[in-house]
Amino acid sequence: MTEQWSRALAMLPDRLAAHLGISAAALVTAILAAIPLVLLMAARPRWRTPILTATGIVQTIPSLALLALFYPLLLLVGQFTQRLAGFGIPALGFLPALLALTLYALLPLVRSGVDGLASVPPEILDAADGIGMTRRQRLFQVELPMAAPIVMGGVRVAAVWTIGAATLATTVGQKSLGDLIFAGLQLEDWALVVTGCLAAAGLAIGVDAALLRAETGLAERRWSKALAGLAMLAALVSGILGWHFAARPAATSVRPVVIGAKNFSEQYILAELVADRLRAQGLTVTIRSGLGSAVAFRALAAGDIDAYVDYSGTLWDTALARQDAAPRAEMLAVLRRDLKRRHQVTVAAALGFENAYALAMRRDTAARFGIRSLADAAARAPQLRLATDLEFQSRAEWRRLQAAYGFDFAAITAYTPTLMIRALTGNSADIITAFSSDGRIAAEDLVLLTDPRNALPAYDALLLVGPRRPDLAARLAVFENSVPVAAMRQANWQVDRAAGKQTPEAAAKWLAKHLGTSGDTSGPRAITRSAAPPLPQTG
Amino acid sequence: MAAHATVGVMVAPAPMLQFAGVSVRRGGSTILAAIDLAIPAGSFVALTGASGAGKTTLLRLANRLISPSTGSVHIAGTDIATTDAAALRRGIGYASQGAGLFPHWSVAENIGAVPRLLGQPHAEIAARVDALLDLVALPRGFANRYPRQLSGGQASRVGLARALAGRPRLLLLDEPFGALDPATRASLGDRLVALHAEQGLTTLMVTHDLTDALLRAGRVIVLDAGAIIADASPADLVASTHPAVTALIAAPLDQARRLARLETAAPPA
Repeated sequence: MTEQWSRALAMLPDRLAAHLGISAAALVTAILAAIPLVLLMAARPRWRTPILTATGIVQTIPSLALLALFYPLLLLVGQFTQRLAGFGIPALGFLPALLALTLYALLPLVRSGVDGLASVPPEILDAADGIGMTRRQRLFQVELPMAAPIVMGGVRVAAVWTIGAATLATTVGQKSLGDLIFAGLQLEDWALVVTGCLAAAGLAIGVDAALLRAETGLAERRWSKALAGLAMLAALVSGILGWHFAARPAATSVRPVVIGAKNFSEQYILAELVADRLRAQGLTVTIRSGLGSAVAFRALAAGDIDAYVDYSGTLWDTALARQDAAPRAEMLAVLRRDLKRRHQVTVAAALGFENAYALAMRRDTAARFGIRSLADAAARAPQLRLATDLEFQSRAEWRRLQAAYGFDFAAITAYTPTLMIRALTGNSADIITAFSSDGRIAAEDLVLLTDPRNALPAYDALLLVGPRRPDLAARLAVFENSVPVAAMRQANWQVDRAAGKQTPEAAAKWLAKHLGTSGDTSGPRAITRSAAPPLPQTG
Repeated sequence: MAAHATVGVMVAPAPMLQFAGVSVRRGGSTILAAIDLAIPAGSFVALTGASGAGKTTLLRLANRLISPSTGSVHIAGTDIATTDAAALRRGIGYASQGAGLFPHWSVAENIGAVPRLLGQPHAEIAARVDALLDLVALPRGFANRYPRQLSGGQASRVGLARALAGRPRLLLLDEPFGALDPATRASLGDRLVALHAEQGLTTLMVTHDLTDALLRAGRVIVLDAGAIIADASPADLVASTHPAVTALIAAPLDQARRLARLETAAPPA
């Protein structure tokens, strides 16, 4: 327990500093963007409604979606600048997070700017005109200073919103306190979740208190109080940065190798496994975890991450946009060829196990309904409730399943992967989408339904290397056919189980030791499948 | 005296302020109709009339806070439409109802506003602020106060000092004592009359209070529905037989007589 907390605490300074950095950058950018907008609205009142409406509409977009939208947008812009000016722009990480958070912060800033200017009484404006101020002098000497307290209120609201929304920046690969929250939710490591949430809330409260002081100081025109607020803010910022730099390992000037991971346990473990291997060879490695499934491949192709594990069926559908089905061997050959040709992505190793989409049921439920295959399930579908992960219903696999079996479920609900299994064991769902390498299949005694019509493609785990570090392919070839599905299930189970839960790092160490891929740099080494531990039969 | 480019060089004895065939129309309704008016230098003129008669509009024409629909306004012979509005206003003293002090500026900063806009040196402005505080009979210690720390009468005095800070020759006052109690009103009114004489000003004052107009000004102009219906000395105005003017004057005169009767009926102190 204390180990969990100390691990969460160890992650904190780095993420807190990054969180502060992205929030501050977004807030400053938003303020810089809001100033001309407010001045435009002050000079041209008919612009007021369209601008306020536009910023209001941005506000209604869920912040998670807004962040995700900037990724493809920046990719497009990047391709454009690449063709036009010969340089690309990073589509993952800081930039999309900055832009999305900036847009998000605009509404309170613009609104308070307009309200602040409107709060200046007409007789004051008349006096300013009457004594001979020019339009500009009136704005800068009278209107803006008088609007300052209300504007500061808007800055406060924007700051709190931005700090909250910045936790979502993790999903586009920007380091933030969201790293702790997302990883914690996935791993059911509540120490991580609580630490991340408390830190984000604490940061928001601290900044809010400092800005409130500055705001009331401005409103009461007591400059010492306003300055005290700013001093509080400076102390907060330097405290966090100080903690960060004190806790940080010695800096290296070379850009580290970046290993990506999507947002589920197996991905965390494999990222650690790969990272450990490369570290043992003397490379500096960092892990960007919690990436959205579609974001991950594009991030690799764009060079924002250097390596990660994806699955053949997923790549077939998303990276190659193939609608057809193909036998496993042919699929792998096409992927090796086309990923290289179209995206400069190398398949460094087929890990040797499959993490296929499948539908799973509790053994007792399946027995009660007499269901063994997807065809059986289709016949009973009106009596069954389906729980899926967040992306399944919009994936080609679901369309293929529908085309092949014509399901008509009583209800379909989307969950995060961990909660999806909970829904099944807690009897809120009868049938779920599952991954064949999931350790919980064995542990929870689930049955995977067979696919007699071969509607679902193969999902061989492939270790991919991006165009920025093609040299990694040779270093990682050792993993070719090295991870049996049983070993992967066991490693996943170590992380996913409720009792005796391990960290992904520990599971990766166990896996490496078990497979014999840890540390040594002596080159590829054959791993036999018989090295896997025995696992219960999974139907 | 500081030179005011906008006021121009007087080559002929042109009136300080002149309205020539000025009309103001807003959205189909006529606010002022064909006003012809000349105000010689040194006059103290009160503009009065019922609400909506157009007196504030006429005042605001003089420093281009409003532009005429037809006709022209001249200051010392110069058509003000040809001048820079901001520079013109810096050369004219202007104080409005409620003083219109800038709440984020101290009394000294408020009073020094026009000299600062004119780019005068700091030391000169500070000395000017002290002199103006003396002039409007406020203690010099008030310089560092903020408008929220002032009473209504004190704020009005600061407003008056601010209007005088640029050493204007023309002073425009819009209901300068609007919201003040009678005692403050009377003492400030007397102070204003004295200042007008001491500083050699030409003063145009809008007031809806006929008593103020009659007791302070040397010339009273009565507006009604956008037209001048009387333009006379206070004594002549009281003797006027114009029905609208007598109606306007009847009430304050009646009040004055009743107050006088009260005074004579009271037992000697």
